[in-house]
Amino acid sequence: MTCHCSRRDFLARGLYGIGLGAALPVFLDRTTAALTAQALQGTSVETHPERILVVLELSGGNDGLNTVVPFADPAYYRARPRIGIPAREVLRIDDHFGFHPSMVGFERLYKDGRMSIVHGCGYDHPSLSHFSSMSYWHTGVPNAGEPLGWLGRLADDHLDPSTRNQIVNIGTSQSLAVRSGKHSPLVFDDPSRFRRDGTDEQKRLLAALGGGAAGSPENATLDFLAATARNAVDSSDFVRQASASYRTPVDYGIGNAFGGGLQRVAALIKAGMKTRLYYVSYQGNAFDTHVQQGDVHSRLLMYTADAVRAFLDDVARIGRADDVAVMMFTEFGRRVEENGSLGTDHGTATPMFLFGKHVKGGLYGRPPSLTDLDEGNFKMTTDFRSVYATAIKEWLGYDDTDAILKGRFQTLGAFA
Amino acid sequence: MLRANRRFVRGLVAAISVYLAIVVARAQSPRTSSSAWADDLSPIGASDWNAERAAHLLERAGFGGTPEDIARLASLTPLQAVDSLVEYQRVDNARARPFEESGVWDAGMDPFPPSRAEAVRLGRERGEALGVKALPAGSPRRLQPVVDKFFYGLRANSIETQRLGVWWADRMLTTSRPLEEKLTLFWHGHFATGDAKVRDYRMMLRQNEMLRRNAAGRLRDLLAGILEDPAMLVYLDNGENVKKHPNENFGRELLELFTMGVGNYSERDVREAARAFTGWTNDVLAFKMDKDQHDYGEKTFLGRTGPLDGADIIDTILKQNVTGEFVAAKMYRFFVRDDISPPVKSELGRGFSASGYDVRALVKRIFMSRDFYSPASVATQIKSPVVLVVSTYRKLGLRELPTIPDFGRLTGGLGQTLFDPPNVAGWAGGRTWITPATLLQRGNLFRDVLFADAKNFRAPDRLMPPTYARVGENLAKGMNITEATKEGTGDAESNAQVDRDEDYNTRYASYRGYMMAFERTKPIPRRVADFSLVSIVAAAHAGTAEAVVDAFARRFLRVPLSSKDRAAFVEFMRGRSIASEPDLRELLYLILSTPEYQLS
Repeated sequence: MTCHCSRRDFLARGLYGIGLGAALPVFLDRTTAALTAQALQGTSVETHPERILVVLELSGGNDGLNTVVPFADPAYYRARPRIGIPAREVLRIDDHFGFHPSMVGFERLYKDGRMSIVHGCGYDHPSLSHFSSMSYWHTGVPNAGEPLGWLGRLADDHLDPSTRNQIVNIGTSQSLAVRSGKHSPLVFDDPSRFRRDGTDEQKRLLAALGGGAAGSPENATLDFLAATARNAVDSSDFVRQASASYRTPVDYGIGNAFGGGLQRVAALIKAGMKTRLYYVSYQGNAFDTHVQQGDVHSRLLMYTADAVRAFLDDVARIGRADDVAVMMFTEFGRRVEENGSLGTDHGTATPMFLFGKHVKGGLYGRPPSLTDLDEGNFKMTTDFRSVYATAIKEWLGYDDTDAILKGRFQTLGAFA
Repeated sequence: MLRANRRFVRGLVAAISVYLAIVVARAQSPRTSSSAWADDLSPIGASDWNAERAAHLLERAGFGGTPEDIARLASLTPLQAVDSLVEYQRVDNARARPFEESGVWDAGMDPFPPSRAEAVRLGRERGEALGVKALPAGSPRRLQPVVDKFFYGLRANSIETQRLGVWWADRMLTTSRPLEEKLTLFWHGHFATGDAKVRDYRMMLRQNEMLRRNAAGRLRDLLAGILEDPAMLVYLDNGENVKKHPNENFGRELLELFTMGVGNYSERDVREAARAFTGWTNDVLAFKMDKDQHDYGEKTFLGRTGPLDGADIIDTILKQNVTGEFVAAKMYRFFVRDDISPPVKSELGRGFSASGYDVRALVKRIFMSRDFYSPASVATQIKSPVVLVVSTYRKLGLRELPTIPDFGRLTGGLGQTLFDPPNVAGWAGGRTWITPATLLQRGNLFRDVLFADAKNFRAPDRLMPPTYARVGENLAKGMNITEATKEGTGDAESNAQVDRDEDYNTRYASYRGYMMAFERTKPIPRRVADFSLVSIVAAAHAGTAEAVVDAFARRFLRVPLSSKDRAAFVEFMRGRSIASEPDLRELLYLILSTPEYQLS
């Protein structure tokens, strides 16, 4: 391992660490523990240093039942007499399941063998609150107050924090999923605005600020801001130029909220960004379809399928299909029975999706029963962390999923 | 391995020395006495009052101010200073103007269809919708007028909502009752409601007025107001909450986000609360109780059983100890700091419920407390985008909101748009405001203020996205509607769908909708910020580069600059003139771009 342990690096990391903690001594413990672990472990050998994982979040609780439709199950139409997708309209997967008719993009990926679907993903004692449930999926530790995200912990254990921008989060704010003890994820939304304005002299001056004796003795918020400012200055030029120069003939569709983000990821991959983990979310609780969901849900699924299909085609076009896999999730599915407003209320288990050239396409896990329910909700059949473990171990090649996920989860054999 | 070990040891030593340095600094701090004030809710004494603390109060209870504003507060006793902000009902606010509507909504538009598909269905079935008739059967694109009108409604409403945001921001800047607006902003985030879903600025305006009316009043009145508020009823789908099929959205958010917090009630309580609110709906702008849809049956909610209705639910919620704590803690996080200690939480919560949930008494207690003035609270909060921009304008002494650059664009780019919180939980605040990108943007935006470019400014309330602008250009070139509206390669299903051109053309309707909306909405008056840094510097009697840097730092920053950074700014002014307005603006741009400036 080459060790570029400059004082500045250490300070940046150290201060960032302090900045995250409420109580300083606790944080010293954490820093110490992390450093000890690193010292003992050395740096593990990467089996697949080129592989990239892109995680997509459908926020608001996607209605999985109308996404992957069990059209052969009469219980489905009993539960959803008005908003059920008619069997003749679904895009058939097999004799039992079919895609929502707007998901032409997914149908193609599935037929190409570039997509797998995992049935019934959830966790024990599910929360029906968007915020609680999303935080459980983000941390990978349901019903607990884990402060770091699962991708953040993954990066802490395996990615070298002295290489900047191992985690990129496209969005206006940082997701808990990428919150890390050692890495400072690069978060941005519009790359063209990701820059410092002003004259060269001013940019230089602003970049050199901080680092001297602090004007005020103790201010964790200020330390956090200073660390973020350093990362911003270092990364913005690269990101902006990569995005501005990116041209693609691939049609990502009109759902810019998602397609735009994925196109930015493609641009960074093309530009040779060292990022291993990307996080893109369909923000604003878009999938929270309590009312009149037919039209809006159809549109959301169409945008999603268009964007993912386009992204995989685009990645293949630039010659990186072998290196990219995509995982897609939502914080919960929706109630099996439709509500009185042609919509659905918050529910529990829901399918997850894996995409990529190296995915072994197909259906995984046991579909949950539509009749044996828990207060109207599905009983989950696959712990979602099994899918996380699959991505960590089978795709990225890290075996210690137990440590990262704080528990033992069976992998699915979903990657070739 | 050896290297890694050495790195570890070196890291550990450095970490310990940082820790020790802080401990020592703490012990040597001139504010030793106030260091012990954290979590102390007893009132600050008159002898502890000074300009620093007055400035802190004005930052948090309002939007900051000029040195003159601060001096005025500092000359009072702490109690008088706090009262001058908190007892704002005594302050004349005649300058505050009501919102002037453009009048974009005509009678046929109510109730506005929830989707284009629904507008089309109505048009097809009835031959008219949204107050316009479909074309005679057999005409090409016979539903075009209906779809045009639908898009007009969306665009015109969105422009009115932008105007509403500018109106409110101007009010925050110019009001004589800053706490009234700050509290209204708090409640807007607490009872988060977004126009992106409501799609009716009239409802958003009424909600804003209701929140302002009750901002320092009683929680019960706020709850009663919000639960009968058309915007909220629409936002949480309660119009769909009916006896046969209760919709839980409203009941769940009431418990989880508005009053008690997750973990303090059961799923059953959510379902029972939803039943109690069945039939609570709106007739466009008025609350309506639909008796036929209300479930009069027996319910059990938080241990209370009976034929409960919405008012009973509120009563029961207000009897829970956790309600006072939950709301008081949220207010503490908004006004004081991110972390509240358990004793402070329980004490503020107890006092809040004992006062009959009197918001004015709660904020007064907070602003009087030593805890509020302790180092843990002072200059440790990250300004929200709205506060960042409004407070900068206040510190510049502006009397009118600049609209070049556009206020909504400035704050929206940083993650906060008035009348459009990201979701039902409102803005998460604190460190979530900051990403590498928004941090740079927070500095950049002041370049657009300090060096406003009126000539190249393009008003967002008159801006059409490129796709639709192209439709207009293509039509002007003589293309027919089908040709003029083609986009995409057709690979993506969504583009293929929009390119369809049968009973109506969606892209053309979007274009028409924009054009009609531009015609019928009042434009936002555009003006650049009116101020003179030369005058500000003169008033501060700053005659050297050092004195100018110090004057700016005092006026704009809540933490002192490090000596190194101060020297860099002084150095920047060498070769520049402290009598030159552009040079002073370049310097101020730098100071407003520092991490320090993000702190309130």
